[in-house]
Parts: sequence; structure tokens; C-alpha cells
Amino acid sequence: MRPHFVTASIIWVLLTAVGEALVFTDLLPVAGSAEAKDFDWIFRFLLILGIPVFTFVIATVGYAMYNFGNSTKPTEDGPAMHGTGMFPKAWLAVTGGLTLLVMVFPGLTGLAQLQRDARGYGWGGETPEMIVRVVGQQWYWQVEYPDANVTIVGQDKEMVLPVDTAIRFEATAKDTIHSLWIPAFRMRIDALPGRTTYMVVKPTQTGEYATDEAYRFQCSQLCGLDHAKMRMTVKVVSKAAFSEWLASQQKTGQ
Amino acid sequence: MYALKSVVSALAAGLIAFYIGLGFAVVMRYSFGYTAWNTEMCISIAWVFGVLGWLLGIGMWGNWVREWIGLDTYGRKAPGWQRYFTFNHDHKVIGIQYLVTFAVVFLLAGLLAMLIRVQLTQPTGGIFSNSQYNAVMTMHGIMMISVAVAAVIGGFGNYAVPLLIGADDMAFPRLNALSYWLIPPVALTLLATPLLGGLDHGWTAYPPLSSAYTSSAQVLFDLAIITFGLTSIVSALNFLVTIIYMRAPGMTWGRLPIFVWSMFVTAWLALLYTQGFAVALLMVLLDRVAGMSFFEAKTGGDPLLYQHIFWFYSHPAVYIMVVPGLGLTLEVIAHFSRKPLFAYRYAVGGLLGILGLSGVVWAHHMFTSGMPNYLHAPILVTTELISIPTGLIFLSALGTIWMGKLWLRTPMLFALAVIFNFACGGVTGIFLADVPTDIHLHDTYFVVAHFHYTIVGGEIFALFAGIYYWFPKMTGRMYNERLARIHFWWMFIGFNLTFFTMHWPGIQGMNRRIAEYPDVLQPVNIAVSVAAFAMGASFLVFVYNMLNSWIRGPVAEANPWDARTLEWQVTSPPPIENFPTPPVIKGHPYDYGVPGSVHATFPSLGGSPAGGGGGGGGGGQ
Repeated sequence: MRPHFVTASIIWVLLTAVGEALVFTDLLPVAGSAEAKDFDWIFRFLLILGIPVFTFVIATVGYAMYNFGNSTKPTEDGPAMHGTGMFPKAWLAVTGGLTLLVMVFPGLTGLAQLQRDARGYGWGGETPEMIVRVVGQQWYWQVEYPDANVTIVGQDKEMVLPVDTAIRFEATAKDTIHSLWIPAFRMRIDALPGRTTYMVVKPTQTGEYATDEAYRFQCSQLCGLDHAKMRMTVKVVSKAAFSEWLASQQKTGQ
Repeated sequence: MYALKSVVSALAAGLIAFYIGLGFAVVMRYSFGYTAWNTEMCISIAWVFGVLGWLLGIGMWGNWVREWIGLDTYGRKAPGWQRYFTFNHDHKVIGIQYLVTFAVVFLLAGLLAMLIRVQLTQPTGGIFSNSQYNAVMTMHGIMMISVAVAAVIGGFGNYAVPLLIGADDMAFPRLNALSYWLIPPVALTLLATPLLGGLDHGWTAYPPLSSAYTSSAQVLFDLAIITFGLTSIVSALNFLVTIIYMRAPGMTWGRLPIFVWSMFVTAWLALLYTQGFAVALLMVLLDRVAGMSFFEAKTGGDPLLYQHIFWFYSHPAVYIMVVPGLGLTLEVIAHFSRKPLFAYRYAVGGLLGILGLSGVVWAHHMFTSGMPNYLHAPILVTTELISIPTGLIFLSALGTIWMGKLWLRTPMLFALAVIFNFACGGVTGIFLADVPTDIHLHDTYFVVAHFHYTIVGGEIFALFAGIYYWFPKMTGRMYNERLARIHFWWMFIGFNLTFFTMHWPGIQGMNRRIAEYPDVLQPVNIAVSVAAFAMGASFLVFVYNMLNSWIRGPVAEANPWDARTLEWQVTSPPPIENFPTPPVIKGHPYDYGVPGSVHATFPSLGGSPAGGGGGGGGGGQ
């Protein structure tokens, strides 16, 4: 039994090494916000933990098929291992321990960072410095900058945001449920009729849809006919450029 | 022809009753002072009449209802294949009815998946308009969900459970027939939805989209799925009573085959939670036809209410799909490893653990739904906990194959594939259970890949394992092993290429249920589509092999796998009463390699032992 166990373990380790290489590949879209950076390392952390679990199964099944497999009917029975000894208990301890780990860290700790208000409806890790109000309706977004009294409405319009500013999106909907999602920020919250949900995002670098399609403000809750078209492009600019843009919008708006 | 007469007369009875119902609805509306015609209300009422008419026509009148008014019942004793088209009470007939029906639904829904993948080879301007795409996507979803809910339970549950526990039939045979014959109207109703404008709300049917902003076809969806839920509840009740009361003498809970345990757990899940889906859809229906306002915020409703009720069923539903698949997998793995099922008690504990936890995890589908923040932490905890009982299933499977004498026939290959696929689906599930990662990944193709890994990889692969495993028992003929292996490797590789690749566009920012997507994601979508076409083509081999083998395959032995469980100790196919003499259970079903162990004897045959003893696998050769 020992040689089988050892060989299979070596295969497991080798497979895991190959699998873990996946962690360092360019899997994720551009990380345009503080929240995206948090997401990215948690994602990679879970990947680092998850890959050995998957490769353990691959190694065991693959090794068993190769070494214990027969294409014709086996002429005798295998050993009568009932699995009533210590092994299942050890298995329970290991799987339970791993579960507790990912539950507490990064699960609950990450959640604690994202939620400040137990009775609220959304994500808010930071104290907001600016508010953007969003209203979803079939099939376009209406984005309002209340401080500047500027509103942008329509499909494929551009939403401009300042860099290094914690922005609180406050969302609601007029008809069906919609969902705010900006892949570059890794943040999402549904917009519901009759309720105001929110998410706080702090963009950390400039970027725009023209060069990176992760900068888009996409409805991600099925809302009917033109759900796929319900999006806006996003452009994150310097604070100065943002003020200029707001001013220009105020002029054209009046 | 008898079969034709049976079905056509039932259809006619259904149609006549439907029109009587329409007339009734119109007259009632008129006499209460409303406009006589209201499409959604009149159709809803007429539909109920129609289904009752269909049921009476297909055999409930003769077999059942006559009894209520003091008349003698009669059953139609159609010969041969024609009995599959009658109100037959035999659990073996009903099992095959379920399997064939849902194989057809599976192939149709798979065809829709192919169309979806054709559309997604182009970022914009594919073969469909947005409304056509939404209809195709919704139909693919709900048809595949129904296959996943009913194929293994209705097919193998009905066929194998009474045989495995040594019973002569289910506890309530007529109820069983009723549960099957409710399905044709459900299928026809779903197929009729394009006539009323098509569905566009996805299989989840979230209001207010479904309750106020979609076509009248939505009421057909509600009626069909509520009825489909009824078949689940009815058959769940039947399974519970059968498993509790109909076990052969000596078939203690500790000797119950693991597939029966999984069906027991599944039946509890279906009985306890299916009402949730039915109630949620009933509320949508009432919003639409009765002017209620459950989900309309403007008039005091709450759109999120639906999601809570809906997922309260629909998360247990994924275990309704996957648990019998896992039970079937362990069943096949034990027989084809020729070893006792490793850690049997832990595996049963795992199944019961899933049963216990599955009712308190529903809101992990709603982490980004705008539900109150205090709900996230407890649901995150319970969701993560479920990986512990699920891990015990892996313990049992991996422990059984380790050091076994594996016979790599097609059922075993599919069962091993389940373990592989479900491990991948389990690992990706962690990303969706942890809120910080779910926020980005929710409603993307990452989720689509994840649930196809768990449901297709975990359950549909098990379904195929079961089809190949019990094919000789069901049909009395052997399938072609070479074609079956070609089907397996083709499907397995195609499946993994399709869905492993599909995680990536999800991470990159492609959301679900969209007919158009950003240009940069076109290459990966083409790759996924090509792999999906390859996977789809593998089913041609399957269909050919099944039809050809069923008609002219070589005659099967009673026990081609040399397995110990009861169904293999009778002829293939089994006699109508299952066991010529009732079995008495003497030992564990999986005690391969245990000297002198016997699973069952048939005492009136002179006590000859059955179920292979210490003689091992060589005895059957």
C-alpha cells in the first residue's frame, strides 16, 4: 500500500505545482479600484487553496484508473476496506479545517470590510467623498451627480468619474430589477424599484472604455428585451479633468 | 393502434375540457360584469380544465375516478411497447417513460444550447434578435432544469428503488402514474409559449419583469411549472412511503443501497421545498391575472420577496438534482471497484448533512441583490459548511476506488467523470460562496460554468452512468460498448473544453443572459462555441447506440456486471412482479471481498444465496 500512496502523492504534488502556475497568469481584467485590488488577492488566495483540492481528486482518480483499472472483468474482489477507522475522521478534520479557514478568512473578514451598516442595502468600505445617483429603467441608465446638478441619460453614453475619490453609487430602478456592474471595479449591486441600494467604489487609476472594455457600466440582471444593450461607457480621469468635465456638462445642460 | 388511441383520445379530452373551461371563464366574467375576454385569466382557468380533461382521458377515469363514484375500475392492458403510452402502474414502465421523455427534452434543450452558442460566436448581430435570444435562452434553461429535476429521480428512482429494496412496486402505483402523466401537458404548455409572445425572463422568472413587463406567455410558464412542481411533490411522497414501509425483510437502514439513501434524502428535499417555487410562481400569476401586488413596489409590494421564496426552493433544488446523481455515482463505483463502499456511514451522513443544511443557504444566490446586509454573514457561513458533508461523498468515492479492482466499463467511466467534474464545480463554488469574490463573479459566465460543472458534470454524467448501467436490465439487451466509450470520451472532453474555458470570459467581465458582448471576448467565445458543438455532436453516437441496441442488441444476461444488489438477481428485464419469490436480506449490499457474505436469499426457492458471496467477481464469467 505504501508505494501506491507515495507515487500518487508525488503525482499530486506535481499536478499542484502545474496548477498553481495558473495563479500567476493574467487571469483578471484591469484592477481599476481599491475594491478590485482586494478582490484580486482574495480570488488568487482562494485559487491557491482550491487547486490542490482539485488536483488531489485528479491524482487519485487518474492513478486508480491507471494502476487498478481493468478493461476486462476482474477475476477477484478488491480488499474489504470499510473505511471505519481513523481515516474518515482525519478527512473530516482536514475538510472541516479548510472550510473554517475560507469561511473566516477571507470570507467573513472580507465581508466585514465591505459592510459598514448591518441594516443597509449594499457595500460601503470607505467613507464616501462624492455621491452618484443611478436610476435604471428599461433599457438605459440615468446617472446623476447631485452636487453639480448634472444628469446623463441613455444607452452608450459616457459616465465620467474622478480618480482617488471614494464614490458612493446610490441605485434604484423605475420598472424591473437592474444591476450596476463595472468589471474594472469588481463591484456590483442590484437596483430595485422601491429601495435604494448603494456601493462605494474608489477608483485608483485612470482608464476608459476606449482602451479597456472592463470600463463599462453594465446592467447585469436580466431586465427584458434590450438587457444586453443596457450599458454606459466609463471613463476615470484626474480630479482636475473631472471638475472641468462637470463644468462643461453644466453648460451644455443649461 | 392501441397506443395512438390512448394518447389521441386523451389529447382530445384535454382540448374539449380546455374549451369548456374557456367558455366557463368567459361566462363567469360576463355575469360578474367584467369584459368577457381577458387572455391571461381565461387561459389560466381553461388550462386547469384542460389538464384535468387530459388526465381523465389518459386513464385516470378508468383506473381511478370510477372508484370514487362506486363503479368498477378497469385498466388498459396494452401489449409490448404500447404499454408505455397508457396509464400503466408498473414502476418499471413509469421509470422508462420518464427516462425516454426527458431524454427527448434533453436533446431538444441541447439543440437550443447549440443555437445559443451560434449566436455568441459574434459580439453583435448574431442569428437572433434580442427577443428571440431571450426566448431561446429561457427555454434552454427551464427545459434543462426540468430534465435535471426529473430524469434521475423519475427515471432511475422509479425504476430502481423498488427493485433495490426488494419491493414489488412503489407504495402508491396510481399516484406514480399520475405523476408521470402530468408531464406531457407541462411540456406542451412550455412549447406553446411562443404562441403568446414567448418568454424572456429566464428560468428564474424574477418579478417585476415576469409579473408586469413581459408577454402573456408568462402565465403558461407559471401554470406549467406549478404543475411540474406538483409531480415532484407527489412522487417525493411516494418515494418516502415506499422507502420507509416497503423494504424487504432484513433490509435495515444500515443495509440500504446508497442510491436508495440518496433518493430518500432527495424525496425529503422535494417534499419540503418544492412548494416554495410553486408559491412564488403562484404569486406572480396572481399579480398578473388577479390584480394582486405582491411584487410591485409602487403599490406596496416588494420585488425581493420573490427571490427569497424562489431560492428557498431553488437552492434545495440543486441538491434535488445532484444528490441522486451522487448516490448513483457511489452505487456504480462500489460495484465496478469490487470493494465495499468506503465509509458507508459517513457517506450517508454526508447525504443527511446536505439535507439538513440545504434549507438555510438560499440567500447566497442573492448576495448582490440588495437584501439587508445582516443576512450575508450567516448565509455565507451555512453555505461554506455544506462543503463538509459534500466532502464525505468524495471520501467515500475516492476511498472505494483506491486499491480496488476497477472494471472500466462505460458506467464506471461516467461515474469517475462525475467525481472529476464535481470536484471542479465544488472548488469554483467556494469563489461564489465567499461574498467578496461573489460580488464580481455573480451573474457572469463564471457562474454559468460553475453550475454546468455541478449539474451537467455532477448529475447528467451520473444520468448517463445510470443509463449504461441499467440499460441491460431495463431493455433486456446489451448496448455496444465500443460506441459507448466513444460517446464517453467525446462528451467528457467536449464538456471540459466548453465549460472550463467558460470561466474565463466570466472573470473578464461577460455577464449572463446577453445576446451581445464586448468585442475583446470574441476569440474565447468562439473557442467555447466550437467545443460546445463538439460536445453536442457526441449525443448522436449516444442516440444511435441506444436505439440500435434496444432494437437489435445482443440479449443481456441477468447480471452482466456481477453486481450484488437485488435488481441483478432477477431476469433482464425483471418479471412484472419484480421478484418471483420475495427476497430476504442477510447482509450488506457492497460486501465485496468479504468471505462468505451474502446480500439476500430467496427462501421459497430453497434458500439459494444471491448477490455473490465470497466467490468474487470470477464467478459470473
